[in-house]
Amino acid sequence: MSASLSLDALTKVFDDASRPAVDAVSFSVAPGECLAILGPSGSGKSTVLRSIAGLDVPSAGRILVDGADVAGLAPERRGMAMVFQRPLLFPHLSVLDNVAFAATVAGQPKREARADATQFLELVQLAGFGPRPVTALSGGQEQRVALARALAARPRVLLLDEPFSALDPELRSDMHELLAAIRAQVAPTVVMVTHDRDEAAIVADRVALLKGGRLLQHDTVERLYTRPVSLDVARLMGGRIEVPGTVRDGIHVSAIGEVPAADGETWAEGAGVLVVRHEAIQVVAARASAPEGFVAVDVVVAERTPRGPRAELALAVTDQAADAPAGSVDSPRLTAEVPASRPLAIGERATALIPRSACTVVAG
Amino acid sequence: MLPMPGPGAVARARPRASRDRWWGLAAVAPALLIAGLVVVGGIGMSVAQSVGLVPLVGEAAFTLDAYLANGDELLTGLGLSLAIATASTVLSCVIGLTAAIIITQGRSTGRLVAALSALTIPVPHLVGAASVGLLIADSGLIPRVLGIAPTAWPDLVGGPWWVAVVLEYTWKESAFVALVVAGVLATRVARYDETAALLGASRARRLWHVVIPLAKPAVIVSAVIIFVYTLGSYEVAWLLGRPYPEPLPVLAFRLFNSITLTSRPEAAAVAVVTTLVSLIAVAIGMALLRRTPLWK
Repeated sequence: MSASLSLDALTKVFDDASRPAVDAVSFSVAPGECLAILGPSGSGKSTVLRSIAGLDVPSAGRILVDGADVAGLAPERRGMAMVFQRPLLFPHLSVLDNVAFAATVAGQPKREARADATQFLELVQLAGFGPRPVTALSGGQEQRVALARALAARPRVLLLDEPFSALDPELRSDMHELLAAIRAQVAPTVVMVTHDRDEAAIVADRVALLKGGRLLQHDTVERLYTRPVSLDVARLMGGRIEVPGTVRDGIHVSAIGEVPAADGETWAEGAGVLVVRHEAIQVVAARASAPEGFVAVDVVVAERTPRGPRAELALAVTDQAADAPAGSVDSPRLTAEVPASRPLAIGERATALIPRSACTVVAG
Repeated sequence: MLPMPGPGAVARARPRASRDRWWGLAAVAPALLIAGLVVVGGIGMSVAQSVGLVPLVGEAAFTLDAYLANGDELLTGLGLSLAIATASTVLSCVIGLTAAIIITQGRSTGRLVAALSALTIPVPHLVGAASVGLLIADSGLIPRVLGIAPTAWPDLVGGPWWVAVVLEYTWKESAFVALVVAGVLATRVARYDETAALLGASRARRLWHVVIPLAKPAVIVSAVIIFVYTLGSYEVAWLLGRPYPEPLPVLAFRLFNSITLTSRPEAAAVAVVTTLVSLIAVAIGMALLRRTPLWK
């Protein structure tokens, strides 16, 4: 049930399209690993998944499962199973027969197929639901059955195409836990397409970030957040702080001052944009000194936006605030989140502490 | 603050729902009246006439004589009509379903089949019957083109097996089935087919386990329509069939046009039997439809 998967310069150009939907994408997934293909709408992530499944024929490149090229193999012979955004349960079959579908079409006797399916229904915590018609299920239950049906096919690679995006947040969270439990029990190789970076962070071991059909970065979730390789990656991962400047002798010099690279980090010399996650910024009392490993920047609160239990602050660097009015689009700003209960009002002075280890510099 | 429904809201909503229902009923009333008048009135009139309650001449008196007057012909006609309707329905459904599957594959062959089916629909059955006669009669175009002598050509038109009649119905009605079923399949079959393929189902298994079950309700509905139509249709059997035995609608029409005025109740009796069989066919079809999981 766990195979390795490699994509080697996978390219897909649809008829009449001016540019490729997928442009030379390469990555590999280890057996039992969960990879999330993340990207905005139209980034080509679903096309990558459909190509792996054999539903779309690639224009170029190779797809290797356990080292063997699956080109020319029909979808039913690739040993993949897929769960789509819609559960697509066969409406003419009961819940149990849906889960038993793969065994039934493989020629297994009905009784055996159903006994096997029962185990998978238990795996998705739907024991006893077998005899029900699929129309008697809720949205979350339908998606669990779809997952059980896919797993019962014992796929070499399990493909998930935004399977939880139509569910409400609570159900989605349940499904994430269920997927984690399934991974712990049967360790399938999983490739999941999602446009939700939080979901990718929760579910996946590694993420392949796509934009415009190109692979921007294939890395662990943590590194995608903290060590983006480009401004595009930082922005797609929700990064809000971009400070243009210049790197000289391993120190980024900009409007916020000098930020030396953390130990073990090397930044390319010359112009570069310093990016840092806003979650890493601490806001402390004005004129506080920087502890070891931090850079202190004097700021003034320029905007405050409520975010439920937290508040998002736009912080204008003080020196710069004297020259440019608050809210000027040209001025680099820091963003930070504080508990909603902290009384930091607009115009109040403070110090932003930036951990050096959370900083990285990318090309502008 | 959002306006909240007060305690009287439910009570107020109820008369409004009731009023809406009456408006809805009033809106469909003209159509219901016309359909009701034709169906109930027509059947009622035929029943009344067949049991002697509306005689053309003489006193009205209840009698089943009209049903017994042509007892043998009625039974033979019933058997023949059922055979023609069953053969035409089965063949149309098999061919139509195959065509629908080809159409939904989305390839150029599918587009050609869809175009042929769409072209077939507007051709009237009378024109179709005449064309089939001109093509496959012993003096028709096909034996001539093939150079087969009329004596060596089988009796397809007016023969003992009513081949031309069944062929004409099958040609027209399979196109009908193809378009109806393709319409249903086109909206749902592609994604289910992909899902089944990814679960390891071969093309044949997908057809058997997914496509045909999904098409079943549409096929049942089409089959009922075709069966009822071919059971009650007059012109094709009259043009392409043999003079005797007569299918029910041909028998009914002959008796209706008879110069003997007492034949009118007999024609009505044949029409009533035909209607009864049609209603039974519809009831069986609906029962089958209710048994399909998709209907639930």
